[in-house]
Amino acid sequence: MLKISNITKRHFRTIALNKVSFEVSEASITGIIGPNGAGKSTLLDIIAGFQNPDEGEISFNDVPLMLFKEKRNILSYMPEHLEIYPDYYVADFIRFIHQVTRYVDTDLIEMLNLAKVKNKKIRYLSKGYQQRLKLFFALSNTKKIIILDEPFDGFDPIQLIEILDFIRFKNRKGQTFILSIHQLHDAEKICDHYVLLDEGRVVTMGSMQTLKQTFGEDSPSLEQIFIRAIQ
Amino acid sequence: MRPFFILTLKEIKDTFYSKTALLFLVLVSFIIGYGFLTAVGLYSEQSLSAVNNPLYARGFEPVPGVFGPTYGGLFILFSLFLPFVIIPLISLEKERNTLAVLTQLPFSFKDILTAKITASFLFLLFVLILTFPCIILWQIHGGHIPFNELLLLMGGYLLYGMFIVSVSFFSASLFENTANSSIFAIFLIISSWLIDFGSNMNISPFLVSVSAWTVTLVLKYFENGILSFTAVMYFVLICSFFFILTYILLRFDLQGKWKSISSTVILFLLTMFIISHITINIDITESHRNSFSSSISKALKKVHGLEIDVYMNKGDSRFADYQKSFLKKLDLVKNDVQIKIMTGNELKKNYGLFVYKINGKTEKTYSNSEEEIFPIIFKLAGISANPGNSETKYPGYPLVVKENLSIVQYIYYLLIPLAMILAFVIKNFKSTLIRRF
Repeated sequence: MLKISNITKRHFRTIALNKVSFEVSEASITGIIGPNGAGKSTLLDIIAGFQNPDEGEISFNDVPLMLFKEKRNILSYMPEHLEIYPDYYVADFIRFIHQVTRYVDTDLIEMLNLAKVKNKKIRYLSKGYQQRLKLFFALSNTKKIIILDEPFDGFDPIQLIEILDFIRFKNRKGQTFILSIHQLHDAEKICDHYVLLDEGRVVTMGSMQTLKQTFGEDSPSLEQIFIRAIQ
Repeated sequence: MRPFFILTLKEIKDTFYSKTALLFLVLVSFIIGYGFLTAVGLYSEQSLSAVNNPLYARGFEPVPGVFGPTYGGLFILFSLFLPFVIIPLISLEKERNTLAVLTQLPFSFKDILTAKITASFLFLLFVLILTFPCIILWQIHGGHIPFNELLLLMGGYLLYGMFIVSVSFFSASLFENTANSSIFAIFLIISSWLIDFGSNMNISPFLVSVSAWTVTLVLKYFENGILSFTAVMYFVLICSFFFILTYILLRFDLQGKWKSISSTVILFLLTMFIISHITINIDITESHRNSFSSSISKALKKVHGLEIDVYMNKGDSRFADYQKSFLKKLDLVKNDVQIKIMTGNELKKNYGLFVYKINGKTEKTYSNSEEEIFPIIFKLAGISANPGNSETKYPGYPLVVKENLSIVQYIYYLLIPLAMILAFVIKNFKSTLIRRF
């Protein structure tokens, strides 16, 4: 479905991404995992069209995605560093998104429990609710691929279960997810495919089963696989 | 509602309801009120001796006498404070990464920038609307309003405001945070003043030639009641230039930005060059204070190849007088006159001299009065011209305002600032107010 081929990105003399290639199949949940500075956010920025790669290509159903406009029609992206209009009231922001997209998902608002804070200014929301609002923005559409950079930051365990359930629910309806997650136990709960990045390179990739086969059946958790792969 | 309209509404709200914008409007209110009261006071005082003297009354014109000083305060406010209102419209989007939100909605970069430009334009219009009570009160008190000249003055400030908006947008697109963008925008704006200063001080011939194209100097056309095609096009072009650069810099998806930027710069310089060679100036003042008498103008049009060497510092009051009473009027009739401001030893040796040259013939004079200059020029050109009746039919409009203008104080020192505070309270404490009432 989505093919990332030989993506290279340089920041002056530093290579942020080095010939990164992988494929994302339809209706899957792919986790991009890796240590800090591995290039996860840069990679997601490039996939979503917010940065241009120095080399490489991204294609969707074998058609190269050259323009930002083309990517925008297929992908919805929630960057990690996003501070949604702090002086807006939650209700105003939700209304703005609804009016502009002409798409209203009441299940989403209910699941994110945003009605509870609708009369609050965004700047006064807790980190968890600010994260919910970011998710609301990224999920308020019917785009084929949803890219979320560190989506679970700031959630308590109960909230996390709800969010994971909702992502699974959307995924079952056919939406494909690409998630960048640094909490590996969270990734393990939701992803069915992993791409492990380190120093801008793909170290390994595959389903949990494939990874276990590669790094030994005695590696019970993603965390252990991750450590072995890095070493 | 169409998405673009919704976006524009959002931008209008963002612009008008920001704390800096409301503070700016309070400042505008104080400055306009103070400027108007002072100008009316002075105009009134000077008019005392003119009301019964028709000859003296001719010098009383409401635009340079009252509205010029009233709007003059906007120049400083726009130059030094407007960037702080406008820059956050872009820089905050960049700092918060909310451009990522807008660009993923059905808006192109062009839509986003157009909505922001529209909001800024409406904000400037609102600032000008705040001056309307002055115009109404002036008329209520029996003052004359030359509408064409006044509209030109307002148009000039609107264009100057848009110039500040364009520079602010450009700075915001160039830097990653509000502070750096603000400093850079102020630097760009003030550099125009520095060029003017350098030119007046005769620091270098280059500065003198560049100073003809500074925004402050071009704005003078509007302030002096000259509808200038070149001046209007200058503002339109310079604003478009900065807006296009902003568009290029904001587009994170654009590859080969330097190519686009250099093409824009080349195109801008080329268009500027073409515009500089088209001079269409119309004196729209009722008194025709910027023009020579019609017989002189007709005769001057027949003069070809006139060159003037001025041996005087630009800061000299005699030069200022010469420029105002002769050179500017000459520019409206003839734009092919070569004027050379002398520098160095030659200036020191012949200080105060004006040399007129036509086809190799030369005449010198130390006088800067029209009565001396025209016979010299017409003699050199071999033209016999009748200076005609140079007396104008303009009656002048002196006005002594006897009534107390405390209503101006109420409007500008109380009512408008209170309205801004109310807008701030409604915007920021909306939910509390809804819960209470």
